[in-house]
Amino acid sequence: MTASRLPKGGRVDRAKTVRFTFDGKAYSGHPGDVLASALLANGITLFGRSFKYHRPRGVFAAGSDEPNALVTVLSGSVREPNVRATELEIYDGLVTASQNRFPSLEHDFMAVNQLAGPIFSAGFYYKTFMGPAIGPLRSTKVWMFFEKFIRRAAGLGKAGVTADPDHYERMNAFCDVLVVGTGPAGLLAAEAAAETGAQVIIAEERPIAGGSLLASVELIDGRNAAVWAREKAAALAALPNVRFLTRTSVWGYYDGNVLTAIEHVSDFKPNRTKGQARQRYWIIRTGKTILATGAFERPIVFPGNDCPGVMLADAVRRYAVEYGVATGNNVTLFTNNDSAYEAARALSQAGVNIVAIVDVRADVSGACIEIASSAGAELVLGHAVTGTHAGKTLSSITVQHFNAQTGHVSGTPREIKTDCLGVSGGWSPAIHLASQAGGKPEWDEDLQAFLPPEPNQNWVTAGSAAGYMDTVSVFSDGATKGSSSKAKPKLPSVDAPMFDASPAAVFQIEPAAKSQKAFVDFQHDVTADDIRLAYREGFHSVEHLKRYTTLGMATDQGKTSNIPGLAIMADARGITIPEAGTTRFRPPFTPVSFGAIAGERYGDLRPHRLTPMHDWHLANSAKTYEAGLWHRPMIYGSHGETVEQAYVREARAVRQSVGIVDVSTLGKIDIQGPDAGIFLDRVYTNMFSTLPVGKARYGLMLREDGIVYDDGTTWRLSETQFLMTTTTANAGNVMQHLEFYLDCIWPDLRVHLTSVTDVWAGTAVSGPKARAVLEACVTGTSVDNTTLPFMGIVYGSIGDVPVMICRLSFSGELAYEVYCGAGFGTQVWEALLEAGKPYDIMPYGLEALGTLRIEKGHVTGAEIDGRTTAHDLHLDWMLSKKKPYIGSAMKDRDGLADENRLSLVGLISLDNQSINGGSHIVSDATPREPADSFGHVTAACYSPALGKYIALALVKHGTSMIGNRAYATDLLRGKHGAVEIVSHHMFDPEGSRMHG
Amino acid sequence: MIIKCPYCGPRDVIEFTYQGDATRQRPDPASSDQAAWSAYVYDRANPMGSHREFWLHSGGCRQHLIITRDMATHVISSVGFARDAVASVKGGEHP
Amino acid sequence: MAEPLSPLGHAFITGDHGNSAGGVGIAITERKNLSIVQVTAWRETVPAILTAISNVTGLSVPDKPGAGRSAGEKSVFGFAPGRYFVVAQASDLEDRLRKAIPLETGTIIDLTHGRMAIRVKGPWSEWVLSKLFAIDFSEHAFPVGFGRATLHHDIHTNIQRIDEETFDLYVFRTFARSFWQTLGHAAAEVGYHVQ
Repeated sequence: MTASRLPKGGRVDRAKTVRFTFDGKAYSGHPGDVLASALLANGITLFGRSFKYHRPRGVFAAGSDEPNALVTVLSGSVREPNVRATELEIYDGLVTASQNRFPSLEHDFMAVNQLAGPIFSAGFYYKTFMGPAIGPLRSTKVWMFFEKFIRRAAGLGKAGVTADPDHYERMNAFCDVLVVGTGPAGLLAAEAAAETGAQVIIAEERPIAGGSLLASVELIDGRNAAVWAREKAAALAALPNVRFLTRTSVWGYYDGNVLTAIEHVSDFKPNRTKGQARQRYWIIRTGKTILATGAFERPIVFPGNDCPGVMLADAVRRYAVEYGVATGNNVTLFTNNDSAYEAARALSQAGVNIVAIVDVRADVSGACIEIASSAGAELVLGHAVTGTHAGKTLSSITVQHFNAQTGHVSGTPREIKTDCLGVSGGWSPAIHLASQAGGKPEWDEDLQAFLPPEPNQNWVTAGSAAGYMDTVSVFSDGATKGSSSKAKPKLPSVDAPMFDASPAAVFQIEPAAKSQKAFVDFQHDVTADDIRLAYREGFHSVEHLKRYTTLGMATDQGKTSNIPGLAIMADARGITIPEAGTTRFRPPFTPVSFGAIAGERYGDLRPHRLTPMHDWHLANSAKTYEAGLWHRPMIYGSHGETVEQAYVREARAVRQSVGIVDVSTLGKIDIQGPDAGIFLDRVYTNMFSTLPVGKARYGLMLREDGIVYDDGTTWRLSETQFLMTTTTANAGNVMQHLEFYLDCIWPDLRVHLTSVTDVWAGTAVSGPKARAVLEACVTGTSVDNTTLPFMGIVYGSIGDVPVMICRLSFSGELAYEVYCGAGFGTQVWEALLEAGKPYDIMPYGLEALGTLRIEKGHVTGAEIDGRTTAHDLHLDWMLSKKKPYIGSAMKDRDGLADENRLSLVGLISLDNQSINGGSHIVSDATPREPADSFGHVTAACYSPALGKYIALALVKHGTSMIGNRAYATDLLRGKHGAVEIVSHHMFDPEGSRMHG
Repeated sequence: MIIKCPYCGPRDVIEFTYQGDATRQRPDPASSDQAAWSAYVYDRANPMGSHREFWLHSGGCRQHLIITRDMATHVISSVGFARDAVASVKGGEHP
Repeated sequence: MAEPLSPLGHAFITGDHGNSAGGVGIAITERKNLSIVQVTAWRETVPAILTAISNVTGLSVPDKPGAGRSAGEKSVFGFAPGRYFVVAQASDLEDRLRKAIPLETGTIIDLTHGRMAIRVKGPWSEWVLSKLFAIDFSEHAFPVGFGRATLHHDIHTNIQRIDEETFDLYVFRTFARSFWQTLGHAAAEVGYHVQ
């Protein structure tokens, strides 16, 4: 194969030069070139090594169906592997590298795999390395040992490991009609749709519109086809109701006429403007979809068909017509249909020398004969290619007599010197998106191809995607499918003679004596023999065939290999292709980068939820961690202090004097209406309709199945208004839970719910000096024990900020929650700190908050874990017997009353060592595996109040175990220690401190 | 998938939260019939074909909807507010 | 009276950002000194509540999904059955609505502190917002005055169209800074001005 730039022709701008590199060597091309055309123009024909055998491979196609010519694009430390050279537009400074070779493309060590070819057959890895089914080498361990070596030997490009610095984004779009593809069908369909006034989006995967017209030698309305297409596209793009997207590949078809596309916004440019995305991920919701996706030419499978120089006939034509590149000095075509003659005509016009046309058919039309003769090509009818001769690239082919009816090869082999062989095995409509949308494709005998399935959503296929293969009928179909009227559309004139689109039913050439591999799937190195082997081993269904041989599973998703593969399996089984069936295509149609799917989300992909006092926390040495989406202070660390030292200091300050903690994250729900009290009686286990105005109550919710759901305090602000608080983590779920019951179970209740979590900033002031702090800063109300008793609510001001104060305690100390408008949160927080100065008030974080509650045995999400009952948590006292409530019927089920259930206890370390959360409770004094666990630790800390390491745990027969010694064991982290089981009320069990 | 919310219009499925089978009937809350409660909480028919489901438009108007959806094709044949449907079925009697 | 603190903190940087060399595609503003009050009607009291809202604000809104109206800094729009946002630069807005709307007509909750109001204005506003929300911003689908409730990932947002190229966004306060930064990222392509 000797490729070169032709003296003229192609759409490249020969006046300008673009410089790029491939495998470290500098090359130049022209604007309009893709990497494949530019490298071919430079005489480069070896593009990569194959997946399994490391065979030399050249460019095979000219578009998104390319299986071989995959390269890695390098940009600084960033690498993007498996980019198709046939689509990669070159730009100044582009750096590319070939893949799957070591140490270089020319000299590859792994090519020895070729010599071992017969053993690398279908399922080879699994058969060989999975190991025997029994014995010491059994199963996965063996596979895991070999896997890393196999992965190195067999694979496509290497993924990058550094962060992708590029910017990606998502775009939501809505339209009446989406037209996919801008070949002759797409352009006329879009025009017809736009004329109806519909909002139209047109998506074209290539940089310019035209599809098959771009490589056509036909005259449309008397003009060059590509020029006609360009003008038509420009006119469409100028319409106000049309959005014309180029470099946009539609890759997914989902329920409800939702399609996804990837737009290459700037990755074909040397530089991006500020804020410009590299790629844009479109999600398009459309009323109707017109799939004008064209057709893919498919190869014929024959021995030696994978050497550089063997290509699709249409690709040979496109490089010549579109890029002005001859893929060989002496081109041969091999075909089973008439389209190769159209290619020959185009090649000959472009100045490419054609040596011969080998046709499996014994007879062809006069027009074909005429084309061959005027191109000066020898017409070799009733013959097939049965072998190739190549070093790194093709030098000659062998042809033999072939009977297209029987598939029989006979006669003496004859050699034809040629450096490029263009193969055409017929055309397959690009039904990928239609197949994704659902339905079973239908086999067409004439085309020897699958046609799109019956639509199950509002979509149609148009043009060659619908099986129309000549430009005249493609125009007609496109215009009809795009229009809603029955009127006969006016169509452009086409000068070309009509070709018969139906191929001879020939998919594979199989000479009796063969010495060369015949490849079906180039990208995954699947041969015709592999498919027959899969058949012999019992993998008959196409789904099994696909998974066993990996046929069609590579990045090209079998665009060129699908039909030949099916044909060979059907032949092996002695059935027809439609009887063998085809696999359903799945997204994506073309590879999509992860960056594009992540879109505008970056970092950890989640939004950050900040309390009103967040900046104060950061400015005052808080170490934060993420709780759900929230960022919360863990500790306020001093220099040189450990986390444990910090939380112990903070918790001690609360018990000894006073501390404040940001509780703005608690879920808060406004509940209003005449039936608010009744509603709460039904959702909480205890009574709320009897709660006096100006009072709060601790409430417990169960799920319908009797398991504890959530807890929190609810405050009665007026006869008809309550403020419910929920745990931070469960806020959204509780809201949905309440909404469900109001909408779906009790729609007669007059209650409105609103999330007000974000409205209020909350600060808990806790400790023996808490009241003194409030007295020093709160105006407009007294906070003494009479005005503000335990669970009472008052309204006042701090500075000139209105506040609502509820006296309730999570820490077990005298404590208050001070609520104000979120915008005033920081002012109030700072005012409280100022007022607390005489008492050395200390801000505390979640670790100290946790410590205080563990000491008190108060439960949180660690204990309300979706498995525990109120009884397990010693909350039976909250279960009203006077009324039904959610979960009241099922809470008494046998399984929930089982005496072997785990229940809540406290643990005290007996060896003065910390206890790990998650440790199992066992009776063995020494670590043992497996251990008989009878419980687990839910939360642990050092208790400054008790001067000991303590924990909460769920333990079998919990209460009756109190006073016993057990062991907390954590085999993963190698910790094992003696503990005493105690009541979960480890500190101030009488609660005298918070009532003080 | 697109769900046509009767208030907000057609919206992406990402705005909605599946809230379970809408054909089940909650027993009388005072009932202690464990079999009836067990059926309500656990038993699901999972038919191939048409099915009634609760969906919450959590990312929009926050109304619960009752949707009739074909479980095999995902085609939605009807959407309405759950409140209306539940109220009309129960005729004002709510357990 | 103390000034409420903006949730944006250091994320609020005035001036031109992104690809602004050739002019900006949108302007983004934090709207301040607003009262944002949510009013919810019972099923049969929607007409009564609309009359009450009209009496208080002077803005009359038809009873159809998402309908709304705005005039100057005042606006009203529906975003759920019977549920409306009433927004004005008046600190007594909640009180006046409470007087006009007894419990028999509906309920009222002041959400001023719970939302940040962002105005997005400019020829590229539809384009930029379409990057963040899966709703159709074109004027035939989203007419002037109308409101929408939607979300950007976990961030619930109410949106009202003020004119052809202007939208008011009401974002949960605790997500506001994160959302503001995301909005800036989305707008960088067309250039944006923060004022």
